[in-house]
Amino acid sequence: MKRTKMDRRALLRGVGGVMLPLPFLDLMASSSTAAAAETPPKRFMTLFKPNGVHPPSWNIEGGSEYDFRMSPLMKPFEKHKDDLLILDNMGDFGFSSHANSTRRFLSGHHAVKSSASVDQLIADQICGDTLHRSLELTTEGLFPNQFGCSYISYDKNGGAIPRASDPQLVFDRLFRNPLANPAEREAMGSVLDRVLEEARSLSRKAGIVDQRTLDEYLEVIRESEKQLQTMEQNDVTKGMDVAGFTRPGTGENLDEQVDIMLDLIVLALWTDSTRCITYMLGNSNSRLVFDFLGIKQQHHYLSHFFRNFSRQNLDSLLKISLWHMQKFDRLLTKLKAQAEGNGTLLDNTLVLYGSGMGHSDNHTATRIPTVLAGGKGMLKTGRYVRYAENQQLGRLHLALLQSFGVDTQKFGGSIDPLPGLRESDYQPYQERSFESWVKIEGTEITVQGRLRMSDDLNEAKIFYVDVQGRPSVRVEVNFRDFHDFNLAYHCGTGVTLTGDGLATGNQVAVTKVRQIQSIFGNSP
Amino acid sequence: MLSSVPQCFSAATARFLSRIVFAIGAGYRAKRVSSLHGVATAQAMVLLGSAFLFESHALSSDFERSMKPLVTRYCLDCHSGPDASGDIDFVSLTANSRDIAEDYRVWESVAKHLEAGTMPPDDSEQPNERERTQALAWYQAFVESVPARPAVLRPRRLSVMEYRNTMRSLLGFELQVAVTEAAQTESERSLAIKLLPTDVPGESGFTNATLGNPISLAAWEQYAYLADAALIELFSPHRRDALEAFTGERNGSLTQAHTMRLLRNFLPRAYRRPVSPVEFAGVRERLAGLQGEPLFLALKLELKSALVSPKFLYRGFLVEGERGARQRVDAFELAERLSFFLWADMPDQELFDAAADGSLLNQESFLKQVDRMLASHKSRRLADVFVRQWFSLDEIDVATDNPPIREAWKSQPLDFMHHLFTNDRPLIEMVDSQFAFANLYTAGIYGSDAKEVRKQKRTKGLEGEVFENMRIQLNDASERGGVLTMPGILAMNRGPILRGTWMLERILGEHLNDPPANVGQVAPNRRGENLTFRQRFEQHRTQEACSVCHNKIDPLGFVLQTFDEDGNYMLAANYRPKKQKKPTSDGVASDALDTSGRLPSGETFANIRELKEILATSQREAVIRNIVERTMAYALCRRLELFDQPTIAEITHRLNSETATWRDLIHDVTQSVPFQEMILSPANESRDRS
Repeated sequence: MKRTKMDRRALLRGVGGVMLPLPFLDLMASSSTAAAAETPPKRFMTLFKPNGVHPPSWNIEGGSEYDFRMSPLMKPFEKHKDDLLILDNMGDFGFSSHANSTRRFLSGHHAVKSSASVDQLIADQICGDTLHRSLELTTEGLFPNQFGCSYISYDKNGGAIPRASDPQLVFDRLFRNPLANPAEREAMGSVLDRVLEEARSLSRKAGIVDQRTLDEYLEVIRESEKQLQTMEQNDVTKGMDVAGFTRPGTGENLDEQVDIMLDLIVLALWTDSTRCITYMLGNSNSRLVFDFLGIKQQHHYLSHFFRNFSRQNLDSLLKISLWHMQKFDRLLTKLKAQAEGNGTLLDNTLVLYGSGMGHSDNHTATRIPTVLAGGKGMLKTGRYVRYAENQQLGRLHLALLQSFGVDTQKFGGSIDPLPGLRESDYQPYQERSFESWVKIEGTEITVQGRLRMSDDLNEAKIFYVDVQGRPSVRVEVNFRDFHDFNLAYHCGTGVTLTGDGLATGNQVAVTKVRQIQSIFGNSP
Repeated sequence: MLSSVPQCFSAATARFLSRIVFAIGAGYRAKRVSSLHGVATAQAMVLLGSAFLFESHALSSDFERSMKPLVTRYCLDCHSGPDASGDIDFVSLTANSRDIAEDYRVWESVAKHLEAGTMPPDDSEQPNERERTQALAWYQAFVESVPARPAVLRPRRLSVMEYRNTMRSLLGFELQVAVTEAAQTESERSLAIKLLPTDVPGESGFTNATLGNPISLAAWEQYAYLADAALIELFSPHRRDALEAFTGERNGSLTQAHTMRLLRNFLPRAYRRPVSPVEFAGVRERLAGLQGEPLFLALKLELKSALVSPKFLYRGFLVEGERGARQRVDAFELAERLSFFLWADMPDQELFDAAADGSLLNQESFLKQVDRMLASHKSRRLADVFVRQWFSLDEIDVATDNPPIREAWKSQPLDFMHHLFTNDRPLIEMVDSQFAFANLYTAGIYGSDAKEVRKQKRTKGLEGEVFENMRIQLNDASERGGVLTMPGILAMNRGPILRGTWMLERILGEHLNDPPANVGQVAPNRRGENLTFRQRFEQHRTQEACSVCHNKIDPLGFVLQTFDEDGNYMLAANYRPKKQKKPTSDGVASDALDTSGRLPSGETFANIRELKEILATSQREAVIRNIVERTMAYALCRRLELFDQPTIAEITHRLNSETATWRDLIHDVTQSVPFQEMILSPANESRDRS
């Protein structure tokens, strides 16, 4: 943008090194009242990852509910395995726009346009007595071309809720607001006294016309005084020493800004300032450039790793995805570090981490990354739950609503709450057996078998169909075919694929797709 | 040099004026008892105004004789009562208690209609020639009876933009919102703009007319918060330079000496004028004996109080002069008027110094300052604030959701006008010019003229990059000179009616009333009919109530029909209509579009080139007059009044040429009576007593 840039980063540089650990968190042990409460309150925290994933790097292949290996992208938070409930086969759309997938993330279905997202309904339920009803946070500006890409939280009329991006502003709103902070209130009182005095002295010299303007000003000052007096009488800070918290910096780059914001989220939950927070690590089609990772291209450009394929681009994309996972790890680590009641803050916080889509180039809304954490009593963690069928997100949201005690039987077009969150009462995914074979007639090749993406990052554009007893059939096609036949959607399942290609001995390669049919009948 | 440039008044004049104003003051107090809020002030202003305007009682009795009978007889059928057409109710407008001067815009439009014969409508009874002439003669005498004078100064709150810029100039840094920049996304970087309630345009049409937009509790809380945030940042280690600009070089903690030096530097800049020794004595007393943390806290209280004080947040409380009198503004007020006009910002040190040593009051150095300020990068705000609001460019946001296109469309008129302002270009180039500004996104419409622009290269891996505009010479695309045919302006006004209205109001300075509510839609073609939209529209608007305005709007709008919704020229050789677009409502080939027209004043034209020619010649006076009015209204931060008319007429007369430039205009406006002078309202005696 062409706006004048006053670079806060540049100015912050030299303040000295990395800003962590943040001093304000050290104050916690002495000042929480939530910690002392008999039954700690329940919280709901959502962390949104932009731009889907490179599926082979994210998906867990094989394994069972209790016996599974975490995928390469999950490595950063592998240490939290016992606190996680990893869901698979979430999402049931073959293609999805960025905006629709963002709306579905917390609203069940993209057609839901006039009611609240799940976080807001939970806030209504659990945040009645906190100073702040909820926080909606982000790292990135508004994307006007597709408005919906920038919001996951919607109010009761379906209106997008503005998001805050500046950690200092959030901190000030929570802890330096004269309404919340007695010391600020006192300071404000002194200022009011001074300006009143000043306005009176101006009044002695003022003309009749000036006096009118001065009266407007004075009226507001008196209103402000009255408001402060009211706040004095009912203390909302629950005896917390908020004045002792240190105001955080804004961070030198995106990485530090997000770290600070995550710490602030933990502080906000721990001080019970609010119990419901959503945080977007970027718009769902994030245009952010991760220069601090040495990457010069935009995240969105890289996320289209098929059409913009190069090994370097894919590496960059994975670096960015890995960074998202590290942030999730940080959140969990910090939540766990705070003791509360007989457990930790994480025990009393249900965390939802996920994206709006699965395959980031083809925008498939199947196998959408979805991980739940913490939420003791509401979740049974330490499990990997892969459902037999693709699941509507609304079912998950309905189950969450009910877990938080919201009295509702439907949400986002779903009427059955998703099973499997608290116990193994779900139908698990099972590889169904089917025959696999190859038929070659001249240049026409028909192959039946399980379709998968290449695990080799050097050939991320290439698909394989696994056929028993012989080398997998290689499918190397152009973007049109990849897109038109939605190869990404069929990955991991049995298909019958017909196309043109070449057979050299045992090696068969398809270079043009004519038809693809799912063996079990599900097509997008 | 203007004949109305400020000069010293004779003592006798001053006495005379102050007598009138004092008398009004007494009346005001009497009213104040019965009236709780703003009305009282409005009345005071009215009384003040009419005192000057109706020295001659003959004029108001002439009104009773010449104008009132005419409107009573011919206009009341439509223009009276609660449903009065166009909200013009002549019963109340001609009531004895009514102030004719306050309603002068109505009488101006009555005169225009009578002159053009557009009212009463043709199917109504018409006044005879004698009645008409008499009414027009009254209007003429009425206008001429009003001498140029300044307005009564009323302190007004800084607009959000002025506040933002002033805070930045005062502190040496801008308060910003932390958000990571990304292409195609938009976020407000300025903390002040993000937090403060958005200014609504005032009566002048510009947001710097803040009188109708008083401070609120919500705004106050944000001012207090912003002051806090500013001080936290000022005292943070990375703002050491900004702080030392006030304290002088410093090792270790703040001492008494640092603190006093800081305040001595800070307060006069915050208040935009010197601070009295008495006031400093008060400050010293409050800080006396303090050191360490208590001293720091006391200092912060001083600074924060200053940043939320009316002396900082408003302009005009500190103006010095004789109460109840007309006079030249003092040098510091003049400096503020200049810098808030040209920069939307407080004066810089050099301007402040020129005010302090009095040289600013000297014409030659005054003009030197004006030229220096125009040459400064801060004069970009004339485009970014003034032109943006004048041309309603924020409506481009609605015309496209694509930020790089938005930026391309919006920056064109801004870069163009900035160029005219700062390169001493002729005023009339606003409607037609031999050059334009374009970037990669807009290059397509300039054909071979934009060869150089097309060399701008997109970076791989970055979607939606924004490009700077380049200045190009127009040879091929000569229809694109001036602002009328810039794509953003065409795209934000889609359809001939919006385009015609925009041109009429923003370029020719007409004030149109809202259309009647019950006119319905333009009928579609009946079976077998193949009328163009223009033909069907002409059938639709044959009613008299419509034609008064549409005779003016339509020719200006339909001439632009050769430009599609995104401002592409449909007659260009490389024109390709947008894909997936429904056919236009015309359903006719573009070469069948009828762009010809006739202005109510008689000039005819075949296309936009010819219309621009007319605007630059026979209609030039209207264009220049509008330029003068808009510029004055913005510069004065208020609605223009009857007593401004002589100044407007005089400046328009002088600048109505092909060669008069934007710099000439700015010189004339800044040297005019309303800019250089003021009337200070009488002292607030009731307060003294209480």
